[in-house]
Amino acid sequence: MTSTAAHTVGRSATHGWEDITSWVRQRGVYIALALVILYNVIFTAHFNQWDTVQLLFAQMPPVLIVSMGMALVIGTGGIDLSVGATMAIASAVLAKFVAPASSHGLGSPIALAIAMALLAGLAVGVFNGTVVAVGRVQPIVATLSLLVAGRGVALVITGGALVELFDPFLKVVRQGQVFGIADVMIVAAAIAVVVSVLVRRTTLGYRLVAIGGNRRAAVLAGVPVRSTLITVYAISGVFAAVAGLIATARLRASDPSYIGLLMELSAITAVVVGGTPLKGGQVRVLGTVAGAVLMQLLQTTLLAHNIPNSVSEMVEALIIVAAVYIQRPSRSAA
Amino acid sequence: MANGVSATPTLSVRQATKQFGGSLALCDVDLDLWPGEAHALVGENGAGKSTLIKLITGVHQPDGGEVLHHGEVVHFPTPRDAQLHGIQTIYQEVHLAPQLSIARNVFLGREPTRFGSLDLKRMNREAAALLGRYGIVADVRRPLGGLSLGVQQMIAVVRAVSTDASVVIMDEPTSSLEPREVDKLLEVVGLLKQQGVAVVYVSHKLEEVFRACDKITVLRDGRLVWTGAVTDTTRRQLISRMLGRDPGELGNGKITHLGRAPVERGEVPVLAAQHLTRRFVLDDISLLLHPGEVVGLAGLLGSGRSETAKAIFGALALDSGTVEFCGKRFPRSTPASRLHSGVAMLPEDRKVEGIIPELSIRDNIGLAALPMLSRRGFVSRRKQAEIVDTFITRLHIKATGPEQKVAELSGGNQQKVLLARMLCLSPKVLLLDEPTRGIDVGAKAEVQALIADLAAKGLGVVLISSELEEIVEGSDTVLVLRDGTALGTLFGDEIDESAIMTMIAGAAEHDTAELIA
Amino acid sequence: MKIRRTAATVTVASMTLLFSCGSSKTTSTASTSANPATTAAGTAGTAAGTATTTSAATAATSAGTAAAAGGDIPSAIKAAGGTSKIAGAPAAGIEAQYGPICKGADLGIGKIDFTKDTIGWAQSEKEANPFRIASTKSQVDEAKKRNIKLLTTNAQSDAQQENTDIKGMIDKGAKAIIFSPINSTGLGDAIAYAKSKHVAMIPVDRNITGVKGCADVGPQLGSDFVLQGRRAADAMIKATGGTAKLAILLGASGVNVTDDRTAGFKAELKDKNASGIQIVFEQTADFTREKGKSVTETLLQAHPDVTAIYAENDEMGLGALAALDDKGMSGIAKVHIVSIDGTKGAVQAIVDGNFDAVIESNPAYGPTAFAALDAYVNGDGAPAVTITTDNQYDKSNAQQALDSGTAY
Repeated sequence: MTSTAAHTVGRSATHGWEDITSWVRQRGVYIALALVILYNVIFTAHFNQWDTVQLLFAQMPPVLIVSMGMALVIGTGGIDLSVGATMAIASAVLAKFVAPASSHGLGSPIALAIAMALLAGLAVGVFNGTVVAVGRVQPIVATLSLLVAGRGVALVITGGALVELFDPFLKVVRQGQVFGIADVMIVAAAIAVVVSVLVRRTTLGYRLVAIGGNRRAAVLAGVPVRSTLITVYAISGVFAAVAGLIATARLRASDPSYIGLLMELSAITAVVVGGTPLKGGQVRVLGTVAGAVLMQLLQTTLLAHNIPNSVSEMVEALIIVAAVYIQRPSRSAA
Repeated sequence: MANGVSATPTLSVRQATKQFGGSLALCDVDLDLWPGEAHALVGENGAGKSTLIKLITGVHQPDGGEVLHHGEVVHFPTPRDAQLHGIQTIYQEVHLAPQLSIARNVFLGREPTRFGSLDLKRMNREAAALLGRYGIVADVRRPLGGLSLGVQQMIAVVRAVSTDASVVIMDEPTSSLEPREVDKLLEVVGLLKQQGVAVVYVSHKLEEVFRACDKITVLRDGRLVWTGAVTDTTRRQLISRMLGRDPGELGNGKITHLGRAPVERGEVPVLAAQHLTRRFVLDDISLLLHPGEVVGLAGLLGSGRSETAKAIFGALALDSGTVEFCGKRFPRSTPASRLHSGVAMLPEDRKVEGIIPELSIRDNIGLAALPMLSRRGFVSRRKQAEIVDTFITRLHIKATGPEQKVAELSGGNQQKVLLARMLCLSPKVLLLDEPTRGIDVGAKAEVQALIADLAAKGLGVVLISSELEEIVEGSDTVLVLRDGTALGTLFGDEIDESAIMTMIAGAAEHDTAELIA
Repeated sequence: MKIRRTAATVTVASMTLLFSCGSSKTTSTASTSANPATTAAGTAGTAAGTATTTSAATAATSAGTAAAAGGDIPSAIKAAGGTSKIAGAPAAGIEAQYGPICKGADLGIGKIDFTKDTIGWAQSEKEANPFRIASTKSQVDEAKKRNIKLLTTNAQSDAQQENTDIKGMIDKGAKAIIFSPINSTGLGDAIAYAKSKHVAMIPVDRNITGVKGCADVGPQLGSDFVLQGRRAADAMIKATGGTAKLAILLGASGVNVTDDRTAGFKAELKDKNASGIQIVFEQTADFTREKGKSVTETLLQAHPDVTAIYAENDEMGLGALAALDDKGMSGIAKVHIVSIDGTKGAVQAIVDGNFDAVIESNPAYGPTAFAALDAYVNGDGAPAVTITTDNQYDKSNAQQALDSGTAY
């Protein structure tokens, strides 16, 4: 470290440049997103159409919703690896309740089936939160157990196989629109707004970042760490269940082997690319949304240009590293 | 080389100075380490002991001054460079691989090889011989993790010296050891001395210092206070040097209690802690606190002063004992319930237990008061802003605004943010653990004045400080602690530095006598 | 990879992946489709029986050093121990057979009394998809039909578990093990144990590779994925009349079955000079319906003019269909679809007019496997490798396949 005097001099000399780099650093994800959109506008056939937006709106909601829960969990300094498996469980519960007896289901009304699926997500979340907060197990280990076991549970619920679902409500979920915008996208947007308000305006939001920022200090400042953590993991579980339901409606089937597969990684990527540090203490809602859109758009772009899979995976990895690198904390702050 | 007379010290530090973000951690400190000598480094928290060690071991680079190795100036850009010069460090926690065998750990990173592959036989044989020389009998093929902490610590020492170390630094090596293990470790220190190694022994346990060391250097507030032979000082003198007053000055006129009127103790104390006991930490500590009273907890580091505060605050589980607030016992033993009742604590370690560095001043101050600032879970921005602005003004917190990150503030302002976090709860009892440590002189005076002011307004304050002067000047009552037990209580005019030190040193002397007998 | 065994002294030399789905990216991808087929249950037994008789002459040319090991034997077959093609027209339901002829007696395996002895069936992956469900059902049904006492296990995609499963069944007295290996390698432990106990081992679906014909395991049964790809190409040419803008939904990357079905498909287009079929898009959809749908959605966005889709398994095809349906583009009049597997859902899609053709990869090897086992231990022996014929569905036979239950 240099002395204070030298530091001050250095800063004033490079004032303009530091301003620019810090501006870029804070907005890495938006800049990357703008670049990807620009690239598409110029080089991708059939991109400049409302259809493109429609497609994005149809495909985005599950990852967007899961990312919102993940952002909160990461804000506490934790991580939720079980979200993909939770999606599968919710999907399986939905199928079990709504499918007719001929498909080994219970033939319940769709409302009950949805309620039960959300309840299953809540249960998973409360379980995770309890293990983390009360059992003091590391979040990555606690949620890993359900990442492994959860999908098995889902398979047991449906009896293993893919179950096709024909309930008319699922078609509404899949194809319904309000003012030309997919209704699932409206749900996702509403969730993002709710999470944003939660983070900025509620005691829960204030407390969860305090826990992520310094758990010991939070305890000594009277933050109810246990209930806060359980609530946050529960939210993540419910969001994952909602995403599982949407994915099921999209697929017209419950496929517990694949619904939400690797979703935990997509969600973590969206959060991290969006500028939320993995060590916790901060939640960037808009950044996370931008991160999710960026990753989705990137995949779409690479697919549209028929780039071989191996190459696309490398390009995606490169973009993740670049976005995270640009947004790394500045050395002077550390 | 053993006991040979050398003309130059193995390692010297000349006028070492080190700053961290504007605050001076070390200032013009000299240190000479001679072969075959054990040199104790003592001082309270924040005195600069660990900074000094980090300069010697290449973890930090000095901002001023230099390090000399056998009389030649050296630079250690990394810890590895210091190790290459024969400087080895043993930390409180054993930094080895518990799942590997003892022998592997001893030779970690420099395993003997034979035809390019690990020569296990030779390694085991040499490791066993090496440990034997230090009186450690163990099957070197067994994993290290299976041994007790003390033996692991010893193996770390052996590992360090087997690398032809010329300087071995031990940083609080006995903090997790049992008495028998401590004896063993001190024996090893003796063996190292015989081999001509220069040992640096960092400890706050004075008995060990007097038993094992030849020289002592006392640091306080980053400055060298005293250095000399063990035989040239008494325990009492050492304590006074650590706590901040020259022995000669002692007893020369008492300092006024910040001009406050003597406290009038009512019938019901606002806080009554009875028989606080926790195995190995606190032994039957009792404390009464009346409204408007400042009770100082005096004692050395590790005396149980912070633990007493934490136990009262519900942040340290007790084996037995009760805490009553206004004559009633607390329903639950958590910091949250204490805060709710009106007991607030400023933690000892500001960075580890206090601030949430990445959050703003606003969020840091408002954190504990969230229940008051919100309705149905929604935080009122208006109320929050009001409170935050009030305290920024009242405590003179210097910042660009309430949105500034706390990490960017100076130590004094961070401390004020934490005080504000507690004060906005309008507490009836304040537990202040080292409220003025590591903050600049101006801020220190402000904080001390604030404490007096709060007490005058009827708050009960428990004050903990490594600076005896602060305790003496600020307290109406002083409870003197040592090794988790209360040595006695001083009231009003009885309180002076001399009396406190006599109590602490007397107990220490007594203990040592027992040990020798 | 050399596998040194403790249970027995035999060393199974390096084994590589042969025909089948083999090791997969995710535990379950590989299971989405695959394998050996036989014709419908009834005829299979006789089929295998006939095959054995036909090959008796070839067996005389002595095992191992078959002279006919020329260029016409695919390397995958050789890896599984087949060194010589058995001449003559194979029986119905069998594509081809390769010698030497394996006889249980050569490994000291005694005759099996099907009325008394126990047989074991080791499934590799959980029965969570039509292929695995049908695969196990076929074994169980055949055992029931023959009134054989059958033990069953499922290794849940864990190779070590499958080793344990097989050895466990042997310990319980199984005289023969019919098993679907998780991978072409990795079961050396169980194979050695079986050999030491003189228990017959019949691999089905994925084959054991890197073996000397008949030396380590008994007769193997499998499908030819390259051929499946070729037949899909033929069906596609027929459906589109040789002109199309075609998209390929590839299976999981790095899996043999994906490579084979792609290579076979493209080679056939070339061989048939189908230059009118232009491949505009080629992306993996991981053998899953979900990815099949989302990849197709993007495909339709980027290439709205696509007229045909080749899906390397039914699930991806059905995902593609869901995407087309959302856009109102379903139906072969708008976009042609050919897929591989032969599951009910896909065959139904033919009936509904959404798929043109489905190439079967039949998992129902129960009848063939028991017939081969019988010939191996009690009869004149069975060929080292048998490639079974897969069915093929189009409008002409789809409804019938659903009615008869041939589509699984």
